[in-house]
Amino acid sequence: MERQIRPIYEALDTGSNKSALVACNKLLKKHPKNELIKALKALALVRSQKVEESLVLCDEVLAGKPTNDAVLTALMHVLRGLGRHKDLVTMFEEAYKQQPANEELAAQTFFANVRVLNWKAAQQIATRMHKQFQEDRYIYWTVISAILQANDPMTAPDMRSLLYKLAHRLVTSSPTPSYVNADRFHLHLSILRELELFDEARTLLESDIGKSICTASLACNELRRDIWRLQGLFEDEGKKAELRITEQNDRNWLEFLSVLDAACSSTSAVQDPDESTKAESSSRMRKAQELFTMVAAHDGHKDRSALLALLELEKRARLHGISNDKNRMVDLMKQYFEEIGDKACCFEDLKPYLTLDVEDGERWVSFLRSLMPSFADSNDLRRLINSHKLLRQNLALDDLTMSAESERASLYTKQYLEGLKLGASLPMTELQPADDLAILAGNVFVHLWKLSSDEKYLCNAVALLEFALTKSKQSFQTRLMLIRIYRLLGAPSLALEHYRVMQIKQVQHDTLSHFILSRSSTFSLAASGDLTFATECLEASQIYLSNAQDTGEYIVRAFTGEKYSQIPEFIIFEDRLDNSLQRDIIKIEHLRMRLAHEAITSDIIDMELIELKFIYDRLHHDNRDSEILADYQPRVIQKFSEQTLLFGKSEGSGWLRTFLKVYIRAFQQGSDLDDTVEEKLLIGDRPKQTSPQNKLALKDRLRQRNDEELTELTPEELALVDYARALADWLEPYHDHARPPPGVVLAEAAKQAELKTGHPLKGVEIPPKSGNANALLFPKKDEEAPPVTEAPAIVIQFFDDMKTRFDDAQSASSPSLALHVAALMQEAFLLFVVETLRFKAPSVVKVNKLGALVQQFKPIRVNALAVLREVSFSLLKRSEQDATAEQRKKFVDACSPLIALNIDHDFVLGAAKKLSDSRKKVTEGVGKGMSRMCTSYS
Amino acid sequence: MSVLRPFRAADLFKFNNINLDVWTETYDLAFYLNYLATWPDLCCVQASPGGRLMGYILGNAEGANTEWHGHVTALSVAPEYRRLGLARRMTALLERSADATYRAFFVDLFVRCSNGVAVAMYEGMGYSVWRRLREYYGSLGVGSRGRDEEDAFDMRKPLSKDPGRRSVRANGRDMIVQ
Repeated sequence: MERQIRPIYEALDTGSNKSALVACNKLLKKHPKNELIKALKALALVRSQKVEESLVLCDEVLAGKPTNDAVLTALMHVLRGLGRHKDLVTMFEEAYKQQPANEELAAQTFFANVRVLNWKAAQQIATRMHKQFQEDRYIYWTVISAILQANDPMTAPDMRSLLYKLAHRLVTSSPTPSYVNADRFHLHLSILRELELFDEARTLLESDIGKSICTASLACNELRRDIWRLQGLFEDEGKKAELRITEQNDRNWLEFLSVLDAACSSTSAVQDPDESTKAESSSRMRKAQELFTMVAAHDGHKDRSALLALLELEKRARLHGISNDKNRMVDLMKQYFEEIGDKACCFEDLKPYLTLDVEDGERWVSFLRSLMPSFADSNDLRRLINSHKLLRQNLALDDLTMSAESERASLYTKQYLEGLKLGASLPMTELQPADDLAILAGNVFVHLWKLSSDEKYLCNAVALLEFALTKSKQSFQTRLMLIRIYRLLGAPSLALEHYRVMQIKQVQHDTLSHFILSRSSTFSLAASGDLTFATECLEASQIYLSNAQDTGEYIVRAFTGEKYSQIPEFIIFEDRLDNSLQRDIIKIEHLRMRLAHEAITSDIIDMELIELKFIYDRLHHDNRDSEILADYQPRVIQKFSEQTLLFGKSEGSGWLRTFLKVYIRAFQQGSDLDDTVEEKLLIGDRPKQTSPQNKLALKDRLRQRNDEELTELTPEELALVDYARALADWLEPYHDHARPPPGVVLAEAAKQAELKTGHPLKGVEIPPKSGNANALLFPKKDEEAPPVTEAPAIVIQFFDDMKTRFDDAQSASSPSLALHVAALMQEAFLLFVVETLRFKAPSVVKVNKLGALVQQFKPIRVNALAVLREVSFSLLKRSEQDATAEQRKKFVDACSPLIALNIDHDFVLGAAKKLSDSRKKVTEGVGKGMSRMCTSYS
Repeated sequence: MSVLRPFRAADLFKFNNINLDVWTETYDLAFYLNYLATWPDLCCVQASPGGRLMGYILGNAEGANTEWHGHVTALSVAPEYRRLGLARRMTALLERSADATYRAFFVDLFVRCSNGVAVAMYEGMGYSVWRRLREYYGSLGVGSRGRDEEDAFDMRKPLSKDPGRRSVRANGRDMIVQ
């Protein structure tokens, strides 16, 4: 038998699901009752997307309550594939019940519960396992399960402390002490911290073995430091840290912070310190100062910790009013610059100390101004760059006039070109030491654009940054800036090109894809058949599937390897990725592209509805990284990352919820699936509701209008949302009236399923046939159709209003805003299609007596299509104008200051051509797509 | 001056300034989670006082008998934080942990033969070349230094469990492995 089954495994392992299926069928003829073959066949089926057939087979094997290891493993993969984690738990529990002495089964049952985060059950199983198998680690499995249950936000506070007490009792009753390994020790300490059993913690930590664990384990030492602080033992910790700094040459900033906190602890504790307290504090601060000065002298240029600690100490002394030298702050800053100014991080280090009073500010600025620019070596160059960044940070609004900024742009550019000479011999894979000067100039150009709304400054930024990239191919900072600027300029294909060069992959999709996918439906050519952005959405979303598949495995692995410190971290990580805001923003963008590309059918509506409802109650985490963008704008103005947001707005959870509401409402109306039907038809687990349960029904929540959420929308998006709401409010009663009752929908679904798989649908009872073939059409014949009301003005007017906005936006030289309006108009039309799909069938209209309603659709539709055609025509016309020599000349002329500084004219012309080609591509593509859509819907 | 602390799974959301660098590879989730679930004490990060990640090290422990050793799998510092001695500190931490917790005989790491700065740094820290691995790295284009671009040195440093320094040899540069 084994010999016959091996080829099936091999086929499955290599992804040849088809040949696995063939092999299974062949063997099943000989052994029709063999549950392993059936389980493997179910696996091959689920991997071939044949969900319904797999389900039937899987349930058949499950019903036999299998205990065989191979069968269980195969079914485990099937159930995971089907998202039925809860059934997985039941399966292992049943098996474990039959073989309570089977340790492997016990562990699998434990892990199945871990996978669904059912900590209470996990804890009970671990307890049983310890009794039965007498292994210490099962005590710790119980302990961490109790802690994780306690940490669950749904656990009541008194229950939480009860669980921690239980965990404590278990750890202390363990036959071996927790310090046999660092992770058990860590777990023990975290319990003591929570229960504030500080004496016990100190006894452990001050034992020889406790000390030695903390020396070797950063994680344990972190907890130790925390416990010391919670006890207020700042001085003691400060002394320890001092020893580590002086004797072990430890330069961990945390040690310096401990010394700093010890020096300031007595002052912070008292609200209004009297003179003696002040004197005491001063003396402590003096001591800390002596220590840091000594270390700084010892380390010199090699390490910046002590120098920075001196700055931090002075900052705190000033905060507490015990600084006695008014020059000291700036003196220290000067000293810092002199020692560390040739390191790239100098600016970032000094940033927290740059808010100075007038007198200090003047001294600081005049010091920086007095530095002579030098290009002798890259150290000098870095000094120069740091001085520019530091000066720029402190510029006041008065210093930020057009002419002053223009001068800066020109100075930075000049110095950049001069600085390039230093890196002339570097290999192409290296970064140029002068890069940051180009980036600084790029910041200034963007600010000039903000000040003047004149696009020529963005053209300068493009030309300079593109030039910088030819010198420093790997400068991702330069690329990220260009991506932002190209989107502002309406050149999405260039933005995408740069994005792709960076080879964003894996988890970076979650944190960085916003650079290219934020509001990407604006630039999508899906309606014309070009799925570039839609594909990008799908690729970026892969990471969420990997997370669902892999992260749980490693949580299990952390249990088996007893790395308890990692388990809570992994759970947080999994949750942050699973409920990522970016994930669902991408989902919405992809949906918008999909509707523009595919024919809208009830299948799409049903499937998307279910998916969006899953998303709606998630508590989202924002993992998007915008800190990655270099920002050298002065403190008093917007950051670069804000200045360069497309349409000046970033989509957050408010934006997401608003669009989810729009689409869920539209799909709910268009769909026959109501909650009862969905409950019966849906396979697999329901999503975890991470959002606190809202008492209102979903239907009512969808109607809620939240002004705070709406602030994340552009004015044009807001117009769309208002239109969608009016449309949905208007049509809701008619949809509710015409929708077939659940029984009828279920019967139809069952019929379809049986046709497909040959098996009846489980759990669905088909009502006895009434012999009425028109059951679908005669749902509520006894009820009167709701009276037909007139279409809301907002719906009727929408397309004309938006056309006005579109025409206004057309006057801008960047097509971005015009494309934004056009895409939203197209979207509004598609929502109209979704909302009116049900009433396309003449029989539905007739039976439900909705003729008068449908009459009103026609003029709206006709007008919408006419307006969309006009928009399409304007875009196509524009696309011809975009790629002319005249446009390119405008760009080149705008960049004349750069050309004057010796950036090659032809290079600038090349950049101009690329920009105009990219604009042409997008306006043409969107225009064609719209015209195609108009044709298919007229 | 930086905070030395354990590498946490959530740091994967914050390591872009390090990983967007062309020399640093971004692996799949399983890779990082495997390291954290198996050798969390051989993985750490350096962060700036403001919380920005500056660099990280990921290591493992492997090998049988006297080959039991700590290995530096990934060591990377963001461009703006280079020349601050971060790599040195993180390597020292890994050595300490490999020595005290894992009782390893030595620590080893791979480095591009062309990366003279790094090789010199590791030599300064007590590492020496054990062998040269042919074409270990994929090329990023035509290297200016030919073979050296793609070959790697396997460098080792003996720990306290190897007082006789049996895990290193003087002529490692001549030991070429295909």
